[in-house]
Formats: sequence, structure tokens, C-alpha cells
Amino acid sequence: MVMGLINANPVIHEKKERRVRQAPETTDENAVEPIDQLEIFDHIRDIKDPEHPYSLEQLNVVTEDSIELNDERNYVRVTFTPTVEHCSMATVIGLCIRVKLIRSLPPRYKVDIRVAPGSHSTEAAVNKQLNDKERVAAALENPNLLDMVEECLSPTFD
Amino acid sequence: MARVPLGEWVPHVEAYVDVSRPAAQHSASVDALATLVNKDRLALFDLVSKMEMYLTTTDHIVRSRGILLLGEILSRISVKWLDVNTITTLSDFFISRLSDWQAIRGALVGCLALLHRKQGVGCIVFADVKRLVESFLQNVQVQSLAAADRKLCFQILSCILDRYPEAIKTMDGEQLYWICEAIDEEKDPECLKLSFHVVEVVMKLFPDPSGLAAQFASEFFEILSKYFPVYFTHGAGDDLNATRDDLSRALMNAFCSTPYFEPFAIPLLLDKLSSSLPLAKLESLKYLDNCIRFYGADRMVRHASAVWLKLKEVIFSLSPEQLLLTSGSAKDAEKNKNQMVSETLNCLKTAITYIDSSDKDLFINLILLDEDIVNKIHSMSSAEKSILSSLEDLAQVNALGSVISILAESSTYFCTRVFQEHLTHLVDILGTSTDYESRQLNTCNGSSSAAVNYGALYLCVQMLASCREVALVSYAECSSLKLAKESWWLILEKKLDQLIHLLGLFLTLDSRSMQSMFRQEYDACAVKGLLTLATFPEQCSPLQANAFEDILAMLTSVITSKFENVDLWRLSLKALTSIGSSIIEFNASQKEVIYCRTVVDKIVSLLESYDGSMPLSLRLEASYEVGTAGLNHMLRVARSLEGAVVTNISKANGRMECAEYVAHLFECYSSRVLPWLFTSGGINELALSFAMHLLDEIKDLSMLDRISSQGLLDSLMTGMKLLVGVCTEEQQTLIVQKAYSMVSSVLPLPLKSMTRCLLAVDELVPSHSVQETALIGMLSSVIVGLRLQTPVPDMIVMINLFTVFLLNGQLPAAYALASIFNKYLHNPEFSHENQLDKIFDDILERCFSTVLANSYSKISHSSVDISNDANFLYVSSGNIPSKIDILSGLAWIGKGLLMRGDEKMKDISMFLLKCLCSGETLASTPAHEEESCGSDSSDTSIATSAAGAFNVMMSDSEVCLNKKFHARIKPLYKQRFFSIMMPIFLSKIKEATSMETKLALYQAFGHIISNAPVPAVITEAHQILLVMVDSLAKLSVEIQDKDLVYNLLLVLSGMLMDEKGKECILDNIHITVSVLTQLVSYPHMMVVRETALQCLVALSTFPHSKIFPMRLKVLQAAIKALDDKKRAVRQEAVRCRQTWQSFA
Repeated sequence: MVMGLINANPVIHEKKERRVRQAPETTDENAVEPIDQLEIFDHIRDIKDPEHPYSLEQLNVVTEDSIELNDERNYVRVTFTPTVEHCSMATVIGLCIRVKLIRSLPPRYKVDIRVAPGSHSTEAAVNKQLNDKERVAAALENPNLLDMVEECLSPTFD
Repeated sequence: MARVPLGEWVPHVEAYVDVSRPAAQHSASVDALATLVNKDRLALFDLVSKMEMYLTTTDHIVRSRGILLLGEILSRISVKWLDVNTITTLSDFFISRLSDWQAIRGALVGCLALLHRKQGVGCIVFADVKRLVESFLQNVQVQSLAAADRKLCFQILSCILDRYPEAIKTMDGEQLYWICEAIDEEKDPECLKLSFHVVEVVMKLFPDPSGLAAQFASEFFEILSKYFPVYFTHGAGDDLNATRDDLSRALMNAFCSTPYFEPFAIPLLLDKLSSSLPLAKLESLKYLDNCIRFYGADRMVRHASAVWLKLKEVIFSLSPEQLLLTSGSAKDAEKNKNQMVSETLNCLKTAITYIDSSDKDLFINLILLDEDIVNKIHSMSSAEKSILSSLEDLAQVNALGSVISILAESSTYFCTRVFQEHLTHLVDILGTSTDYESRQLNTCNGSSSAAVNYGALYLCVQMLASCREVALVSYAECSSLKLAKESWWLILEKKLDQLIHLLGLFLTLDSRSMQSMFRQEYDACAVKGLLTLATFPEQCSPLQANAFEDILAMLTSVITSKFENVDLWRLSLKALTSIGSSIIEFNASQKEVIYCRTVVDKIVSLLESYDGSMPLSLRLEASYEVGTAGLNHMLRVARSLEGAVVTNISKANGRMECAEYVAHLFECYSSRVLPWLFTSGGINELALSFAMHLLDEIKDLSMLDRISSQGLLDSLMTGMKLLVGVCTEEQQTLIVQKAYSMVSSVLPLPLKSMTRCLLAVDELVPSHSVQETALIGMLSSVIVGLRLQTPVPDMIVMINLFTVFLLNGQLPAAYALASIFNKYLHNPEFSHENQLDKIFDDILERCFSTVLANSYSKISHSSVDISNDANFLYVSSGNIPSKIDILSGLAWIGKGLLMRGDEKMKDISMFLLKCLCSGETLASTPAHEEESCGSDSSDTSIATSAAGAFNVMMSDSEVCLNKKFHARIKPLYKQRFFSIMMPIFLSKIKEATSMETKLALYQAFGHIISNAPVPAVITEAHQILLVMVDSLAKLSVEIQDKDLVYNLLLVLSGMLMDEKGKECILDNIHITVSVLTQLVSYPHMMVVRETALQCLVALSTFPHSKIFPMRLKVLQAAIKALDDKKRAVRQEAVRCRQTWQSFA
């Protein structure tokens, strides 16, 4: 049987402007630039969707506003919205986001990944799966799954 | 040439005919055979006779391969001469093969190759072409073939059409119908491009009204129309030989090929104009534009009203919102819109110019009497609210304005018609609204409601601009224009005074209440109107001299008084500049006088005034901009800048900001005015007189005192250098003589006695007064700027003089000495070169002894008498700063010598090396183990400044010794110095035992490495890498070395990019990586951390086995950097971590 795409014709959104780097002369050497929402968003915006050649940002799966962050308490929560309710890729997308953030954030952070309430038919299950340490570890032991995740993450490390 | 034996070439034929071989082998064998034939080593006849079996066999696969081989070979020998018989035989063969549908490919290739042959190398005879056409049309069913074959068919067709059109001219309808059939339903882009071309040429072949083109126009157009507008999304990267633009252009050419398409094309294009797709609209506008040009007025007249109506619809409906709906982003919409507007206006212009030929009034009546247009203009006058309230209004007014102006500027007659119709009326509207306005102004005491009628204003200004265009084109027949009844010129003249008055009023209006967004539009309009009026060509300008002066005065008053409105201010300034340059362009002498009087004088006087209300930067900008209008104006500006500087120096106002003021003036003078004058060649005496003037001013001592107390000295010195630098040799001679005589008359030193030898140090070292120092500073700036050939009076005296001040720790004296030695040391014009050499040695000795004297004496002191130590420290610590100054003075002199490649430079660098190691000598003396920390610091400071001296020597400087100041620069001097010093430093570093010495050596060597050209450093990588890495590690402790650390790191990263450098790093990978991982947490500079991470990323491409042992270390460093306080570093850390993690 040939599998069709889960969402064959997704809506594509415009990419937002990137943060422009300031010239080093104008910045204060000692000023602290804390990790902020946009920085987290910069980490995950370019993750490729598992089934389309578009980024999560283009598909509006993640937005800057969907990221909650508390730098002092070392806490990040990312809420993502699958493009369709029955999207079986939701767990893969969530796993990609988690792996990317584990690799990009200092180890002091606790990362919490959630599906936006009401956006997925098996919301509770997905949330549970994504935030269970053991299951995430087990998933990453699976070479097929890991390959898939690496494939999705490849454009974000340019 | 010897023939090749059969056995050598027949396998090629067999290989080609064998379908099972790979494609690469096929093409290789064709190439081989073609080369053989081209080189005459294989006769075509032999080839064909040997291939007979392949060409005639009944197995159609083999046959088709055989024929194809012959065709391919033929197409590859297109430059080889063939005789008539061969050609005829070949064409007979290929023409007959056209009927063989199974082997058609080879026949097509062969025919095409025959058709392509050039005249000189034997080409197909005309009768054969005719036969070919007949056979082709009879036998080939184009649409039933594969894409590649279709392409060949179209190529054959277009080749025949381009080169042998007579063969087609005799065709009948049936054959034309065949062409129709062939291109119908074609979908391949490359074939389409060709088929469009075929249609274009075919249609052009039959221009006769009763000819075939006229008969078949509807059929052909029906086929073509299916492709309009061309929708084709493949980009350039798609390996297709056609882009959308190519296709669209080919189709457009086909559309325009014959006027017989007109009844079908124009309705289609007009229809597509109302499409909601921006692409379709744009395409139709482009096509329409071309079609109007091509079809001619007679045919287009009947469409005139339809064309106007559609264009009107497009012009007035271009709102940004609508465009947003149809395309993706706001940016796209903006771009589309701009393109659409310009295309529409282009099209309208074409329509106006091309359609009017038969009936003069046809098109203009259509537009001027159009209900919408009339209504729109009328609504402006009636509605009180006709001020701008939204973007939409603005767009409407703009659209209307562009229609009117395009209409008016297309000819004198149209211009007159438009003016008759509207100008008087509009000016009156403007007048009433402004009357109303000024009443308001009076009653409300300045707070106006700004009910200016923007629409009327904008239209008036547009009309002015277009009548200026008309005047520019036709100013020869201007006199007749003035006489003609009711011409635009007379209408304009009548309303002129009122118009100028009104426009001026808008400039002075204080409309703070208006939305700032629209405020700009008003200003731009008013200024543009005035600018247009003032730049009418002289012969047909309706403007009287006094009116011209009024306009200038209005704009100038904006400059002088309304600078808080920056936009208006800039606009007015630009307008003034363009008026000025247009005066020069039209050579209007009377106007120039007025311009000078009203504009230049006023603006230049801004510079001289002390009025603090207007910012200096604006004043300078205004003067410079006005100056750019013409050479004379700029000279005027330069003179007044000079005046301003001089008055500022001589005025005893005692303000500290004065120094900054003068610095700004000099900055403007030297960086903007002088370069401009240079490029326009008007410099000559200017700089000389300025420099002389400056020297005059500083003549007396009290003045010098004030200059230095107000901090003016630096800017004066910089200014003087620049001035002297641009002067010619003769001028410089005058300046230097004057400066020298001034110094010798003022300075209370025994100059006369200096001619022979140096005075004793003790005599001279008593510190000099502030005035004397300032004077020497000025003299030194003169010397620094001199050219190589300029003679200097009493050079020995001067050298002595500067030496005295150098020993006193005055850096400007060192600049002067460095310049002298750089430029004159061996100049043959100076006969006393030996003397110079000796003097130079003398100076060095003097400096060396002064620097070292104290430390040695201190050594003796402290070792002999410790009780005296405190007393001594007081004395010596007073001297340390001047010692440091002398050291850096020496560095400058060394730089001067280094740049000209002089051997004596060695003496200085050796001495500096000695200073670097001065700590070492101390450490080696056991008596000093318990040395007090005070003296220790003095030694380190000398060592540090000696290290800094190497930086001075190697780096480029703005202060002196550069191209601007005519320094002698030997090519590659940095590289040479690097290679001389490298072995010395390496051995010294090896010998050094104490940490301080090592650090100082590292610093000095670091300066040399980081300033040397990177390729030169990389060639020595194997020798210096370890030292570099170690100095990175050692220098990263202290904060003051942060720039040096960064520069060294950049050199290291340069090595990482180079093959040779990589090899070397690979040999020392352990130590390199561990230093880099340390630098990842370098606290003093963000870019260092970032670059270190980037270097680590680059290292990850090294062989796996070499770097794997370091993986853990790097990862730990990167993970630590993930929590860096700077974002850029964190970003780099993510990359670094990922690359090093991924090769687990």
C-alpha cells in the first residue's frame, strides 16, 4: 500500500526577520545578554518538517510566542501546534525539538515540550511520551528514528 | 595524411550502432570518428560505403542507429570543406530518409547539419532545400514525435526560415496549415520558444494584405493565445534551456510579428488587463506597449478609447491592499506595485505618442474630457476637506498627477491643451485655500489647521515639471511659443507670480498639526515646484530675474532658519544645489550672479557666525552641498572655512568647545572640501594660503599659550599636516621656510650653535615651556606633510632641534625626525649625506644612553647604597614617562627607516630588543633578588613600551608616514622585517628565563606576527606555531593584551584555512586544541571566544584518528560556552558542539 502524506497540502507562512548581529564596537563587553524567547526560537525555527521540505516556522508549528522561558529558574516550555489534528508526526516533531534543545541549551535547563491544547487528537498521550525521559532515551536508541531526527535537524546546524 | 586502417575505426562504428553500450561510449565513438574525418585521416566516402549495411538494413533499430551516426558525424564536421557531389549525395540521402518514420531522428539530425553548413565550406543547394521542405512537410507529423525530435523539427524549420526564406515563400495555404498543426498543443518549453520564433518569421514573410499571413492570422493567433500570459515556474537552475523571460519575450515577438494579429490580440490583452493576477496584468501591459508600437496608429485608432479606459482602470485601482491579497508578502507587493505602475505609465505614454498621429485631438480629448478625470479634478476644488487624510487619497492624487504629467510632457501642443484646461483653475483653488489658511493663521495666532489643498498643489507641480520637460526638448522654437496665442508659456507666465507666492507660503507655514507622514509630501511638493521653476532652460524661462531671486531667497531662508524640520531642510538644500548646478550647465551668467549673492553668501556666512542655535554639522553640510554646485562656489566655501578657523583661533573666547569646533571645521575642510576640489581641479593656491595664514596666526607666544591651553593644538597640527600634504613642492618650500624662520626667531634656544654638533644633554634637557612645545609641534606637522623633493632649509639645525625635544619626550618631534629620515636620508640633493649618517648615529646613541642611563645608574645606586633608595626612586620615577616617550619616539624613527628599507633600522630594533630583555639582566644578577617592587615596575614598563614600539613600527598609521604624507614605502617591508626578526626572537624567547621577559618578548613578537602579511607568516608556520600558541596562552592572562590576543588568534585561524598551515597544526594538535579550549572561556573579549570556537569547528575537519582523543575536552569547553553571557558565542558553541558530537 502506498502511504499518502498526512497533510498533503499545508499552508506555508512567511519566514520572519532574523535577529541582526550588532557591530562588536557598539556592544558593551561585559553586558550580559540573557537567553530569551527569540534565541530559543532561533534554535528550533529551522527544524525541517518530517514530511515537507519546509521549516517548522514556515508551517507555523512553532512561533516565538509559543515559547515560555524562565532563565533564572532554568526552565523552558515549548508548545507546538501540529498542522493537522491526527498528525502522526507530532511525536517526531516533538522529539526533534527536544533533541535540538538538549544539544543547544546549557545543561542547567529543564525542557518541557507540549502539544498546544486542543490541536491534537491524542494530546495527552503525545505529551506524556515527549516528556518521559526513559521513552525519549529509548526512542533515540532506535537507529531509524534517530536518523529521521538527524535528517530533520540537519539544516539547523548550518 | 595517411589513412587509418579499417581495423582502427570500424570498431567505433560498431560500438555506436550497438544499442546495449552505455551512452558515454556512444558519444566517445562519434567524437573519435568525427576527429578522424576532420583530420582527413578517414574519407567520408569510405565511411559511408563501409556503413552501407547499417544504413540500409531492414532491422529498423540498427538502421536508425546507423543513420543517426552519419547525421551526428555530419553535424560535427561543420567546418570541414565538402564538395558539391558529397553534399548533394548526402542531402539526397537524408531527404529520402525523412519518409522513414522509424529512423526519423537520424534524418532530422542530418538535415539540420546540412542546413547549418556555412557558405564557404560547401552548403546545401537551393533546389535541395526546396525538396527538403516538401518532403519534410509531407512526411513528418511533428506532434506525434518525441520531445527531442520535435525540437529538431522546429530547429530545422526555423533554420530554413532564417536562412532560406525563399523556399517557404512559395508555400500555399496547406503548408502553412501544416505549421499550425505542428505547433498546436506544444508543451515543451524549448520547443515552444522555437515555435514562437517560427510563427514570428512566417508571419513576417507575408506582409501582403491578401497574403497568407492575413488569411491565417486567426488560426495562428488562436494557437498563440493559449500561451498568454506565460506561466512557467522553473528557474534557471532547472537545467532547461529556457527561462520564463525568454519564453515571454519570444511570445511577445510573435504577437508583434504582423499587424494582422491586431483584431485578435488587442481585445485579448485588454481583457487580461482586468485579471486579478499581477503577473497577467504586468505581461499584458508589456505586450500592449509593444503591440501599440508595432501595429501602427491606423490600426490602433479604433481601440483608442478601450485602451484608455483599461489603462485608467489599472492606474486608479492600484491600491496597496489589493496587491497584498494577490501576492505573498508585503515586500513582494511593493515590488510588484512599483513595476506595475511604471509599466502602466510606460504603456500610457506609448499610447499617447503612437496613437495620436492621424487625429491630433483624439487621445487627449479622451483623457481630458473623461468623466472620471474631470470629476476628480473638480472634486478637489469643491470639497473643503481636500486635504490629505489617508494613504488612499495620496495614491489617487499621485495617479491623477502622473496621468496629467505624461499627457502634458508628450508634446508642446498637448502641454498647451492641458494648461488651457486646468492650470488657471488649479492655481486659483490653491490660492483660495491658502487665503483661508492665512486668515486662520492671523486669527489663531500661528496654530494653523493647514487646510492646504494637496491635490491642487501636487497637480500644479506635476504640470510645471512636465512643461519644463517640454521646454527642455524644444527650446529652439521657444520664441514662436511665446508669441503663439494661448500657449502654455503665456498661461504659465500669467499665473507665475501667484504660484511662486503660494509655493513660498507653504514653505514658511508652520504646520505642526499636520500628520508628519503627509507633512513630508507637502514639503516635497512645494520644494519640487520651486526647483522646477528655477531650473527652466534660460531661453524659455518665464521667470524674471527678481522672481528667480525670490525663489532662491525662500529656499535659503529654510536653510538658515528651519533646520529643525530635517526633511524639509534636506530637500531645500538639495534643490539649491541642483539649481546651482543647472545654472552652470546652462551657462547663465546673470543667474549665477544672483545665486552667489542670495545663496552662497548667506550660507557661507553661517560658517563665520557664532550663532549657536544651528548645529555645526548642519552648517557644514549646507556649505559643502552648496559648494558642490560649482567650482567657484566651492572655492568660496573653502575660503570661508579658512576664515572661520582663523577667527576661532585668534578670538580670545576661552571656551573649551572651541577646540572641538575647529576640529570639525578642519575635518570638513580636509575630508570633504579638499577632495572635491581635487577631483574638479581647482585646488592650486588655496591650501598654501591657508597654511600661511595659520602660521601667521600662531606667531606670537601668547597665542600659542592659549592654543595649547584650549586643546586646539592637536586639531591645528592635524590640519596643518593635511594642508601641507596637498601642496606642491614649490608651495611646500614657501611654507617650510616661513615656519622655520618663525621658529628660529621665537625660540629662545641657541640655534646657531646647533649647526655643527649636538649640544650636551644636560644643557638642553630642562623642560621647555608650553609655547615652545606647541611651536615645535607645528613645525613638525609641516615637516611630516612634505614631499620627497621639497628642499628643507638648515636641515642639520632642524634635526638637532627636534632631537632636543625628542629627548625631552615630545612625540611630535619624533614624527618629524622619522619623516626626515624616511624621506631625505640618502636624497642626492643633500650633499652632506655622510653628515646625516653621523648625526643619525649620534641621535641614536643619545637616546639609547638616556633610556638606559637611569636603569644602569639605578642598578649601581641600589646595589651600592640601599639607604639612598627612596630618594633615588623619587628622581627616577619622574623620568620613567619620558623614557617611555623616548622609546616610542625611537620606534617612530625606526618605522621611518624600516619603511624605506634602511639598514640602520637594525640598530634600533636591536636596542629595543635589549630593552625587552632588560628584566633578564636584572634577574641574572643575584644581588637583585630582593629588589623592591618599585624599580621592578619601572623595568617592566620599559619592557612593555619596547614591545609596544614594535607595534608602532609594524602597523599603519594615520599620524604620519603614510601615502597621504608622501612617505617612502618599500614594497613588502613588513614581510622583510618579519623574516629578519623571527629567528632572533625565537632564540631570545628560548633563552629567556624570567616570566616578565618572556611575556614582553611574546608581546613584541605578537605585534610583529599579527601585523605581517598572513601568507608570509604561514610559510614559517612550522617554526613559530608553538611560540604563537604559547604566547596565546600566556598573554590571555592580562586584560591589556586582549587586542593582541585577538589578532594572534586571527593569524592562527588564517593558518587553519591554509593547507600548509593545517599540516603544521596537525603536528601540534594537542597543544593547539588545549589553548583554544582555554580561550573559549577568555573573559575579556567576546570576539576572542567566538573565534576560538570557530577555530575548533574548523579543526573538526582534520583526520578523525588525530582529533578523536581531544573530543571530550572540546565538548566540555563547548558545553560550558553554551551558557556564555553573549549570544553570538552561544550560537557558535552550538555549532561547535554539534560538529564535534556528530563524529562519535
